[in-house]
Amino acid sequence: MTPRNASSGRHQDSPGPFRRWHISRFLWLLLLLAVLLVVYRCIWIDRKVRRDFEGLQWALPARIYARPVELYAGVHMSADDLVDYLQRLGYRRTAKVERSGEYKAGGGHVVLHSRGFRFWDGVEAPVYADLVFDGHHVSTQQDEHGADLPLIRLEPVEIEQVNPVTGEDRMPVSLTEVPKQLLSAVVAIEDQRFYRHHGIDPIGILRATWANLRAGGVVQGGSTLTQQLIKNLYLDREQTFRRKIEEVVMAVSLELHFSKEQILTAYINEIFLGQDGNRAIHGFALASEYYFARPLGELRLDEMATLAGIGRGASYYNPLRYPERVVDRRNVVLNRMHDLGEITDKEYETARKAKLQVREKPINSNGYPAFMELVYSNLKRNYQKDALRTEGLNIFTTLDVTMQSKMEERLDNAVARVERSGHKDNPLEAAVVIADANTGEVRALAGGRKKGYSGFNRALHAVRPIGSLVKPAAYLTALESKKFNLASVLADQEIALQQPNGEVWRPQNYERETEGDVYFFDALQRSLNLATLDLGLKLGVDKVKQTLIRLGYTGDAQPYPSFLLGAVDMSPLDVAQVYQTLASSGFRSPLRAVEAVTTAAGQPLTFYGIETKQVADPSAVWLLEYALQGVFEHGTAKTAKPVLSAHLPLAGKTGTTNDLRDSWFAGYGNDLVGVVWLGHDDNQETGLTGATGALQVWASLMHAIDIQPRQVPAPPDIKWDQIPLAPARDASRRDCSATQSMPFLTDAMPDVGISCEVNESFFERVIDRFRKVGQ
Amino acid sequence: MTARWIGIVALMVLTGCASNKAVVREPAPVAAPVVPVPAPAVVVPRIEPAPTLPPPPPEPLPEPLAPEKPVPATPVSSLLASVQAAVAAGDLDRGAALSERALRISPRDAQLWYQLALIRYRQNRVEDAAGAARRALSMAARDQVLLAAINTLLQELASKTAR
Repeated sequence: MTPRNASSGRHQDSPGPFRRWHISRFLWLLLLLAVLLVVYRCIWIDRKVRRDFEGLQWALPARIYARPVELYAGVHMSADDLVDYLQRLGYRRTAKVERSGEYKAGGGHVVLHSRGFRFWDGVEAPVYADLVFDGHHVSTQQDEHGADLPLIRLEPVEIEQVNPVTGEDRMPVSLTEVPKQLLSAVVAIEDQRFYRHHGIDPIGILRATWANLRAGGVVQGGSTLTQQLIKNLYLDREQTFRRKIEEVVMAVSLELHFSKEQILTAYINEIFLGQDGNRAIHGFALASEYYFARPLGELRLDEMATLAGIGRGASYYNPLRYPERVVDRRNVVLNRMHDLGEITDKEYETARKAKLQVREKPINSNGYPAFMELVYSNLKRNYQKDALRTEGLNIFTTLDVTMQSKMEERLDNAVARVERSGHKDNPLEAAVVIADANTGEVRALAGGRKKGYSGFNRALHAVRPIGSLVKPAAYLTALESKKFNLASVLADQEIALQQPNGEVWRPQNYERETEGDVYFFDALQRSLNLATLDLGLKLGVDKVKQTLIRLGYTGDAQPYPSFLLGAVDMSPLDVAQVYQTLASSGFRSPLRAVEAVTTAAGQPLTFYGIETKQVADPSAVWLLEYALQGVFEHGTAKTAKPVLSAHLPLAGKTGTTNDLRDSWFAGYGNDLVGVVWLGHDDNQETGLTGATGALQVWASLMHAIDIQPRQVPAPPDIKWDQIPLAPARDASRRDCSATQSMPFLTDAMPDVGISCEVNESFFERVIDRFRKVGQ
Repeated sequence: MTARWIGIVALMVLTGCASNKAVVREPAPVAAPVVPVPAPAVVVPRIEPAPTLPPPPPEPLPEPLAPEKPVPATPVSSLLASVQAAVAAGDLDRGAALSERALRISPRDAQLWYQLALIRYRQNRVEDAAGAARRALSMAARDQVLLAAINTLLQELASKTAR
């Protein structure tokens, strides 16, 4: 042993007073440091809680709404359609309508009490209305005092949300918007002493501990509402001692700086109450819509108790999956409320016996993916995706949910009825676009034949040759030139055309026959290829292309003669644009799916509005339409007459492409323009013409959605004349023993040698004859 | 020579007297060429040009006639009342939105298209104003007062474009 060792051993055995003092001081310093660290941490937490809570803002999803229903005397809507719409909105059917969100129906009446809504152009107040129906129309609508109501706009159906990256969805509400009984239920079941403690509740903890000990497991929690809010806002599921301590500090800090009302408001908006796919349901307001399809203000006591009860475990107490378990939990809540004197005996008994009535499966559970793609396409000009995910914007679209449903319900079967066998592995596909004929607003869209199909959106992206759908552009060009009229005679005869590559093209009619001399209108109605070529080549293909561009075509097809027979590729949406222009008498309104965007608070941000531009002569379009109406009467669409008998007259055109690869129909009535395309994704033959395929589907859909007959008054510069039934190029071949009536522009009347008109005065006819003899 | 002329005249008389009345095919059912009854007269306020535009001011726009007696409220008339209130309050966006709402109910109402054209004009949206005015023109039929008002507006728009 060295002295050093001896010295060391002595020191260990009996430390002197000086050394003890050092150790003691060191320990005190350590303790002080620890206290300082804890204090610092507490101050840091306190500042953080205060700062965060003051600026508490949730990322709110954009809400996307369908077009609202407008009700007025004479509006085209059946009682069944209105009831269907009210059910989509979650209206409750009752024997007596007393509150908003209720309706009753029967005996040709629908009585409703609307909820009111903030639209982009103002607030629609709630209203009581008694509507009387006459078949498919509203005949009268009156308020509770019997006064006529000129116009009611119902709330729009919400069709989608653009959720934040977090996946959280909520509808923030203020405390005043929450029914008092719901607040009572929440406080009763979660934190009875909420209004008396300061963030933590030792009495509650003792009571919960005692209850848990007696039960031999966790049956009651000791966390206050404040602690639960903190847990939701800041902390993860980790259950460590440190987390518990921080939770307590945060809860106390929150209580120090904020009122009970502020804390409760945050709690009712923050609490997690369910999972809908990748969308987390937060807050009671959204949960009310999600589980009961109605706003908080319309909930019954038993429904409020249900919502309060599932806060304990939203998955375990999922009302959609475990109704019995949820009813038990609801009754626990009701029992607690009753014990605390929050509800009367009668309320308790009534609510306890109430049947759990959660919402039915959404009427369209697949959503509207094809239409939504068009919505996003429209919005991206003005809004970035981030804004849609966080700002809580309200987006009002043009979708008619009733029309979309009717179309989707019938489309698959209608396609199946025309589909040729032998394509089991390669089914016939479809795309449909239905738009407002006057405004260009898209009302319904299908990207495939199956309901809610969300794959390749053929309505927007299937760019295919349009066949004879292009022909109206040639005939319109001719009518606008005033060198042709409906009674002009065209030559439907064989023709050989030299192509740019040197080959000779010998086009044919579909029937592989020639008709010789045919009237202009007849050539269009029967879609004669050779007569159309005769016309188009006289006009110039480029002029026809320019007309198609005016009508809405945006492509760059070469103006070869084959253009005149439809060698031009377009999507169904593009075709709908062209025919919308025709349907609105030569005024093009860009097709669109969005009406307006407002902020979360309802302040208008963007109105998209109706754009309209005159691109064709309305009188020439009216004459063209005369011929297109004849397509249903005498032309290629006459096979659809039986199905559409209640809707005629309508205007339309068939389209078929080479080897029957594409089957098209485009047509319109007073209110709607619709386009149907049928084909295979791999461009195989369909075995269908426009008439045997797309027309039949179009007719089935348009009958279902009750398209309105086309009745446009003639412009002032239209005059009717008699022409021979058989086309004649000159007076010598004219046979006026059989005539037909035909409209003409006053400055493009038929040649006097062709006309069989008898309404002119004797003197006028004598002069005409004299002139003719002179010639 | 005289005989030849007598023969020609006689032939013309006979031809003129011949009847062609033998219609065997009905025309396709396009609505008959009737003159549409103008929409119930609606007071369309004269809208002055937007103050941001340089002078000269436009020609005064004619005002359609006021109704002679009160008519029951229709959806369109109730919306037009709101349109006029919005325009009077300077909220042209809302006025346009309400006009369009009325147009969805009554899309072939020339007065409504004219109303929208006036609002677009005041918003300096010249192209949109011209489009709506031309659409009104195509539907105004023989309503001379409205036709005159639309033509005045179109002239003003044309001169604005020229400037």
